Amino acid sequence: MNEKLSLTELQLLIRDSLYTSLPDFYWVTAEISEIKENISGHCYLELIEKLPDDKNVRARVKAVIWSKRYRLLKYHFENVTGESLREGMKILVRTKIEYHEIYGLSLVISDLDPSYTAGEMALKRQLIIKKLEDEGIFSMNKELEFPVLPQRIAVISSVNAAGYTDFVRHLKGNSQGYAFYLALFEAIMQGSETEKSIISALDRIAERPELFDVVVIIRGGGSQSDLSWFDNYNIAFYITQFPIPVLTGIGHEKDLSVTDLVAYLALKTPTAVADHLITCLADAENNLKAMSDAISGFSGSVIEYNRNLLESLRSKLLPVSRLLISDWKAKISDTKIELINFGKEYILKAGILPVNQASKLVSASGSFILSKKGIIDRNRLSIMNRTFETVYRLKERLAGQENSLSMLNPVNVLKRGFTITTKNGIIIKSQEQITTDDLIDTIFSDGNIKSRVTEKIKVKR
Amino acid sequence: MAKKEFSFNEAVKEIEKILGEIESGEQDVDKLSVAVKRASELIKQCQKKLRTTEEEINSIFKDLV
Repeated sequence: MNEKLSLTELQLLIRDSLYTSLPDFYWVTAEISEIKENISGHCYLELIEKLPDDKNVRARVKAVIWSKRYRLLKYHFENVTGESLREGMKILVRTKIEYHEIYGLSLVISDLDPSYTAGEMALKRQLIIKKLEDEGIFSMNKELEFPVLPQRIAVISSVNAAGYTDFVRHLKGNSQGYAFYLALFEAIMQGSETEKSIISALDRIAERPELFDVVVIIRGGGSQSDLSWFDNYNIAFYITQFPIPVLTGIGHEKDLSVTDLVAYLALKTPTAVADHLITCLADAENNLKAMSDAISGFSGSVIEYNRNLLESLRSKLLPVSRLLISDWKAKISDTKIELINFGKEYILKAGILPVNQASKLVSASGSFILSKKGIIDRNRLSIMNRTFETVYRLKERLAGQENSLSMLNPVNVLKRGFTITTKNGIIIKSQEQITTDDLIDTIFSDGNIKSRVTEKIKVKR
Repeated sequence: MAKKEFSFNEAVKEIEKILGEIESGEQDVDKLSVAVKRASELIKQCQKKLRTTEEEINSIFKDLV
């Protein structure tokens, strides 16, 4: 066979036979390994196939979605999945084989089934969740104790994200004037760098965990959510192992990413995270207020109770003491009269006593002298002395008795202003002994007066 | 930082204890005013903690980030 073909002729031959044998559209599943949009809006992809648990690429082909078609497909895809087409994503495409004499083989994609990708992503997500659960670490961050005052906050976000600005403004501008301390650990919040960047931020925070109460991962919302960057095993693993509670505000309306699921608490937006933190402080302050009110209330009632107790004691004490005073008055009055009478009697006895003693002494001495004259002579001096001593002692005792008697002497009593009332020489102790018009004697220390009773007043003491 | 740091949690616990004593009537009336004074002092410190800015922490943050 001597016939020669030019390269173009060969390429056209290949093309024709391809078109003849593969004339239809085919639905093909593949993974995106590269994706690029060019200036004119065409989308160029490289599709591959890998088998599970095998890193090696089994098949590879170039593909294109022309701009007009791409705009429609892209819009629909993002609506359904909440994701934009990206590397690593599994897709199901309707495609036609094209062969170009310069560019070679490529697939022209005319349709894209977003539900296949959504299913694949959900499956991947489920696998991550299952792995975390099997390892027994899924809820470790949730089991941490949340601080009463989450005031020192490590923020993982990108500085330019609208969500971060909202978060800071909302938190710092809280109407109660609570203080928060923010430290931003910058990270890339979407794209293939997300994992590495967030883990590096977590690593930096973990160097000084005692400085922070809480870690917050936030980014702006919007329709372009790309949540699947957070369906990432490594990020999730780091969060479960993190010593500080992690809050997320990744900004997705519909679904929660794996990152959200393992976090201590997932909120929809950065603003919601800020609100939550402010609420924590408000709760703490309300608790303080409640305790303060309770203390003032309870101590008020303790004081009130004791005041009432005192008042009731006082009101009981008054009549009791009045009764006691009148009792004592009566007793004193009785004692006074007894004293006067006793004093009188004593004075009489005191007058007799020395005479008796003296005569006894003389007769005793006399008989003693008579019977025991000799002994007396011998002991005369000492007897004399003893006698004198005895006499002296008796005198002393008498003097003392006199002295105390004089204090009881009715005269002295009278001198102090008391008087004795008599009727017909009898001492009157009660108004009962007197009738009106009776003549009574009142004895003062320096004399008597006679008076006629004009009125009787009975007093109960 | 030799000074013992004020702990919000410990302060709250102490306030709760004082409250419990007053509430249950265990609190000696003679010492009531001392206890109430202590509680109000702690509450004041707690409220201050909610609002005070701590320059020190902010500066550490700067080195770290």
